Amino acid sequence: MKQSYNLNINADATKNLSLLDSVKNKANRYLQQRSILQHLLRIVLYVILLTMAFIYLAPLLVMVMNSLKDVEEIRNGSLLALPQDPSLAAWSKAWGSACTGSTCEGIAPFFINSFKIVLPAVAISTILGALNGYVLSMWRFKGSDLFFGLLLFGCFIPFQVVLIPMAMTLGWLGLASSASGLILVHVIYGMAFTTLFFRNYYVGLPRELVSAAKIDGAGFFLIFWRIILPLSPPIIVVTVIWQFTQIWNDFLFGVVFSGADNLPVTVALNNLVNTSFGGKEYNVDMAAALLAALPTIVVYVFAGKYFVRGLSAGAVKGA
Amino acid sequence: MANQRRFTDMLADSMPKLVLAPSFLIVMVCIYGYILWTVALSFTKSRMLPQWKFVGFDQYDKLLNNDRWAVSSENLVVFGGLFIIICLVIGIGMAILLDQKIRQEGLLRTIYLYPMAISFIVTGTAWKWLLNPSMGIEKIVREWGFEDFTFDWLVNSEMVVFCLVIAAVWQSSGFVMALFLAGLRGVDSEMIKAAQLDGASMPTIYRRIILPSLKPVFFSAFVILSHIAIKSFDLVTALTGGGPGYSSDLPANFMYAHAFTRSQMGLGAASGVMMLGGVLAILIPYLYSELRGKKQ
Amino acid sequence: MAALSIENVKKSYGSTQVLKGINIDIEKGEFLVLIGPSGCGKSTMMNSIAGLESITEGRILIGGEDVTHANPKDRDIAMVFQSYALYPNMTVRGNISFGLEVRKMPKPEREKQVQKVAQLLQIEHLLERKPAQLSGGQRQRVAMGRALAREPKIYLFDEPLSNLDAKLRVEMRAEIKKLHQRLGTTIVYVTHDQVEAMTLADRIAVMRDGLLQQLASPQEIYDRPANTFVAGFMGSPPMNFIDVTIDSSDSLTINAGQQQYQLPLPQGYDLSNYVGKSVILGIRPEMITEPVQHKAGLPEVAVLKLKTLLTEAMGADTMVLTQLGDKELNCRINPSHSVEINQHSEFMFDMSKAVFFDAQTEVLI
Repeated sequence: MKQSYNLNINADATKNLSLLDSVKNKANRYLQQRSILQHLLRIVLYVILLTMAFIYLAPLLVMVMNSLKDVEEIRNGSLLALPQDPSLAAWSKAWGSACTGSTCEGIAPFFINSFKIVLPAVAISTILGALNGYVLSMWRFKGSDLFFGLLLFGCFIPFQVVLIPMAMTLGWLGLASSASGLILVHVIYGMAFTTLFFRNYYVGLPRELVSAAKIDGAGFFLIFWRIILPLSPPIIVVTVIWQFTQIWNDFLFGVVFSGADNLPVTVALNNLVNTSFGGKEYNVDMAAALLAALPTIVVYVFAGKYFVRGLSAGAVKGA
Repeated sequence: MANQRRFTDMLADSMPKLVLAPSFLIVMVCIYGYILWTVALSFTKSRMLPQWKFVGFDQYDKLLNNDRWAVSSENLVVFGGLFIIICLVIGIGMAILLDQKIRQEGLLRTIYLYPMAISFIVTGTAWKWLLNPSMGIEKIVREWGFEDFTFDWLVNSEMVVFCLVIAAVWQSSGFVMALFLAGLRGVDSEMIKAAQLDGASMPTIYRRIILPSLKPVFFSAFVILSHIAIKSFDLVTALTGGGPGYSSDLPANFMYAHAFTRSQMGLGAASGVMMLGGVLAILIPYLYSELRGKKQ
Repeated sequence: MAALSIENVKKSYGSTQVLKGINIDIEKGEFLVLIGPSGCGKSTMMNSIAGLESITEGRILIGGEDVTHANPKDRDIAMVFQSYALYPNMTVRGNISFGLEVRKMPKPEREKQVQKVAQLLQIEHLLERKPAQLSGGQRQRVAMGRALAREPKIYLFDEPLSNLDAKLRVEMRAEIKKLHQRLGTTIVYVTHDQVEAMTLADRIAVMRDGLLQQLASPQEIYDRPANTFVAGFMGSPPMNFIDVTIDSSDSLTINAGQQQYQLPLPQGYDLSNYVGKSVILGIRPEMITEPVQHKAGLPEVAVLKLKTLLTEAMGADTMVLTQLGDKELNCRINPSHSVEINQHSEFMFDMSKAVFFDAQTEVLI
């Protein structure tokens, strides 16, 4: 559009070379029109962006609103209507007494299960990742780059291709259907990512730091503990958040490897939603879904910057 | 001391290798070993328990003649293709729009990206209501007065795969936006100034200069999205349960169903191997170009 | 006994040889500068001395003790890095005392040592700061302090001044020189800056492609470079090289296209084996000047008419690029003397410090 205005002005200007004023007027008008056009464009821009924001928010809003209604109101009213008599009854039922398959204790026990699995798995995989990353960046040896390549591949495999042997191995180890088994699985398959994160971060640190510390007389672990680890908080935060979200949100490993006593909350939520005694209690389902999503959303809201950094760090190649 | 090495010195020297050793073992066993194991299983007639009776390519034969597998792999192509394309289009579009010095950009970014923090199970559960004809969007639009409006994809076996696309795009497009926004911010601003001085208009600058320089971002976004698509298992479970019938199954669900609930371990293994093949088909060209790029 | 002996050290990465048999003996208290173009192996040599890289062949002895296979911590060395490599999470005090702490020096002694070093380097007021709060020059001092605190047998400096701006570099150079004179420490110093090498070194080791080209005092290297590489590398602008033929025991002819120029030979330079043969004449720019009265008529001086291509006023003197046949020569004249561009003017060649290289091997005759 801008270009066509330009052309018009040029054409007019050549026609009326003597009438400079007329050209000036046209130019002024062009500038005015352009600024109006720009204003319009700006408004359209904001409308689009706000509409998109609404679309992204809508499912969450619908869930929150309807979790505050009772079942009757949901069935008879509109999904979009505001709750007439907001109550937390559905939330307390979802937390404490809703049926998830064979038991009816709400999702609270599974929420706790998830924490019991997530916390050790995050801690162990982060520590392993930090040590591996430290070796792969600062103490490279013949073959360490090859190992890094092999490990990197682990970020990409579809887990379906290792599920059966893993299930059999856990059985032999006597860890089938146990929380420790699930922790082990999360550590093993999370390690590729944590190592990648730490390694890429440490590669950015000057290697002379380690040389200087070696000459100062420090050894492998002392250098890690006194020099490298104090420089690591940013990447530790990123890794912990990434691992926390990944493991909390996991469903596949949970459904394959956990037993009845240690189902993670994602599996329990799926069971709850698919359990129907009598009528469907949508408000309870929604409250349960929100509860299951709460920890990761909280992390996201309070540490969104690190969350995004983790996502893009996981995205970028291994160099 | 001369040439003699003390034991502690030798220990200190091999410390990096010792530290890496457990991880090395885990990687070799739990990734590569297990892959080989699964490949081996896929050549046996294992059902509920592994049976080491080799039957050649029988399981693959069965797989390729299995209608459910055909449906699920076809679904993956449709779902994966649409999911990737739509995410890229929306992600790039929104990244460009957000790059126009928008007020409250941080807040908008946070809103676009939050679904990525949520589990696919929660996403699937939420969209199950929204897409449910008797409760969700169809009902709402009808209440607005459009009595004939129908939006029953969720229960229509021809269309149900598009429901997966909708939910998955809702979850992941914000992430693509974030990737591209970071990419846009990394473009050399002097290059843009130079193009402006050359008289190029903003759309031209985006089309001819900025987007081409984001090729690596396209690449990573593509790899991650295809990775998400191939691994999508929880979304299907929560949103459609694979139904109606098995019309919305994806290979990941097929594999799980046969290996763990239908006692068809051999067939499940074969389908897992096929999935790995799919990932490799995407990954190897990517890694190849990465490595070649690095050498240059 | 040498403080540091490098005996036939070789190092290769796969099939590429980076060090091809280096031999250097360094006396106690000596300041040795390793210099060469990038990729010549000087940094590898430095890292090998420090024990940060292992060598493929040969031996390294520190104070007579074989440390070829010893870990860096057992070599009694300290190193100042180009990037300083200060520990960012520790204060200046922590940086200086870390090495002492690791070596289990008791705390009171450690404190005393830190104070001593800080005083020496005038960084006492910075002790509680973090490296990020320091300027480039202050970081440089702290890096030196860290090395000094341990009082090792040998100090290694790896291009320590290259991250400083020009003015600070000159200051720190003088500071390092003073420290060396005061403490009498043994120093191996890597640089690619020939001014640093000339000003600091007791001896300079010039390296190229993993081979030692020359190991000698700065003046010796400047006046009698072992080959054309050393001659061209040390000195700025570099030495002029001219193809000449030795006519007799006291004159030579410049082979420069059509025209024939004759120059006298320096006295006492034995070129009897080369009479009638082609050799390379090397003459420094400051030996080609405007005609000066007090030298006129001396046997080793000749005046030639050369065309001026370019002049560069440096202040203290003026560099003139002239044409001699198909060659270009750098000359250095007094700024009060003026020459016209593209005109022929007279230039005086003082051959007393001229050197000659074999035309084939490029080695000093």
